Amino acid sequence: MAQEKMLSGCAAAAQGAKYAEVEVICSFPIRPYTAIMMELARMVANGELDAEFIHGEGEHAQVSVVLGASASGARAYTGSSGVGVTYAFEVYSPAAGGRYPLQMAIADRTLDPPGDFGSEHTDAMSCRDQGWLMGWAATPQEVFDNTLINYRVGEDPRIMLPQFVCQDGYFLSHIPDKVILPEMSQVREFLPPYKAPHPLSPTCPVSHGPQIRPDQGAPMDAQRAATFLDVPKVIEEATADFNRIFGRNYDPYLEKYKMEDAEVAFFIQGAHANTCKSAINHLRTQGLKAGMVRPRWVRPWPTQQIAEALSRVKAVATVETSTSYGGAMRGGNLIHEVRASLYDLENRPPVTSFMAGLGGDVILLEDFSYMAKILTQMVKEKKVRQQVYWIGFEEE
Amino acid sequence: MAIKVPKDREVPFGAITPAPVRQQELFITSNWRIVRPVIDHEKCTRCFTCYAACPDSCWSYNEKEDQMEWNWKFCKGCQICIHECPVDAISAAPELDFEDGVVRLEKPF
Repeated sequence: MAQEKMLSGCAAAAQGAKYAEVEVICSFPIRPYTAIMMELARMVANGELDAEFIHGEGEHAQVSVVLGASASGARAYTGSSGVGVTYAFEVYSPAAGGRYPLQMAIADRTLDPPGDFGSEHTDAMSCRDQGWLMGWAATPQEVFDNTLINYRVGEDPRIMLPQFVCQDGYFLSHIPDKVILPEMSQVREFLPPYKAPHPLSPTCPVSHGPQIRPDQGAPMDAQRAATFLDVPKVIEEATADFNRIFGRNYDPYLEKYKMEDAEVAFFIQGAHANTCKSAINHLRTQGLKAGMVRPRWVRPWPTQQIAEALSRVKAVATVETSTSYGGAMRGGNLIHEVRASLYDLENRPPVTSFMAGLGGDVILLEDFSYMAKILTQMVKEKKVRQQVYWIGFEEE
Repeated sequence: MAIKVPKDREVPFGAITPAPVRQQELFITSNWRIVRPVIDHEKCTRCFTCYAACPDSCWSYNEKEDQMEWNWKFCKGCQICIHECPVDAISAAPELDFEDGVVRLEKPF
C-alpha cells in the first residue's frame, strides 16, 4: 500500500532508486550526497533491495562502473557532490555519447577551495554541456518522483541518455519532508524494465566506444542533437503518465507560482523556490503582484515554455545559485538562457540577475524584498539598470 | 525545427558496432595521412620491429607472400615505423604522389 514517510532529499533519492529496482550501484563518499549511499547500502544489506553494491575508488571510477553496468544492460545508479562531481568529468561525455541511460544523483556542494560544505549549483551546472538530461527538484517528494521520471525518459528507446537528477545539498538533501511512497505495481506500470539495445554480451559480441573519423563526429553530434529535439515529447508523455498513475499534478517543464496575474517574476532553480514562494505571498500583501517560475529541467532547456510563462510580466529576476565568472552578465548562468529564451519575443520584459545563495548561503526573505525593490524600479523605468546584483555586496 | 542526417553519413547508434572483427570497416581512420610508409621488401629482414612499433597495428606479416603488409585504412602517417626500422627498409612517400591517396579524395573512403 502507498505510504507516507518523513524523508530527507537523500533518503527520498535512495527510495527512488529502490523503487526503480536499480541493479548496480556504485558509491564513493562525499557529503552531502553520501547519505543516499548510506541508505542504499542499508537496503542492500537488509535484503530490501537486490542490487550489486560496488565501492568505487573515486568518482571517476563510480561513473565508469555504472557506465559498464549500463552497457551490459543493467539499470545503474550512482551519485556525488561538489568536487566529486567534477572529478568524474571525463566519463560524462562517453556516458552520453555511448547512449547509456544510467542515473547520477547530485546533491549540490560548493566547489573547493576552500572546503565549503554549502550548497551552490556550480558543481552540477558546469556539467550541463555534457549531453545528459538534467534538472533540479525542490522537495524530497520531487526528488523521489524525478528519480523515476528520469529513468523513464532516459531509458526510452527514442532517447537513451544518462540523467543528472539534482537537488540542493542540505536545504533539500538533509531536511525531511513528507514523501508518498507508492505501490510497487504503480512503479512497474510507469517504468518498464530497462532494455539495452546492444548490450555487451559474450553470446552476441559488440564493440563499444571505438575510434571514429573526424568526419563522422559531425553526423554523430547531429544525431544526438536530433535526439534532444525528441526529448520534450517523451518528457510530456512520461509526466502525463506519472500524473495519472501516481495522482500528481506536475507541469512537464516548469513550476509556475502565482503567474496568472504576475507583474514581476522570479526565475529560480531548486529548493530556494520554497523560500521564494513565501516571499511572494508576503510581497503580495504589500501590493506587489509577484510570481515565480522554476524550471524542472535544465537540459533540455524549456525555451518555448519559459518564453510563454514570462512573456506577460513587466520585469524578471533570475536568482543565480551558480557562478560563471567573466560570463556575459558577469554573474550567474541562468540569466544567459532566460534572456536568450525571451530574445525573440516582440515585447520582451527586462531581465536582471541576483547572485544569491552562493557558497551555500541562505537566501533570506529580506533578500527577496531587496530583489522586489529592484524589480519594481525596473517596471517603472521599463529597463535594466544593472545586469547583475551581488546581494549584500552592492554599494548603495 | 528538425535535424536531418543523410543516410550515407549516419553513424551507428552510440558508435556501437559488431565485434569481434579483425578490423573495423565502419570507422576507417586514416584520412589525415599526408605521407605514407613504403616498404622495400628486398631490404626488409622480417624482424617485425615495425609491427611492434606501430601504435595502430598497421603492419602485419603475410605468411604466404613472406613479406610485411601495410594497412592503408588505419595508418595515420606518423612515421614511427620509418624511424624504428633497423635496416631503413621503409621510407616516407607523399600521399599526393598516389592516385588513390587520401589527400586527393574529396570524400575519403
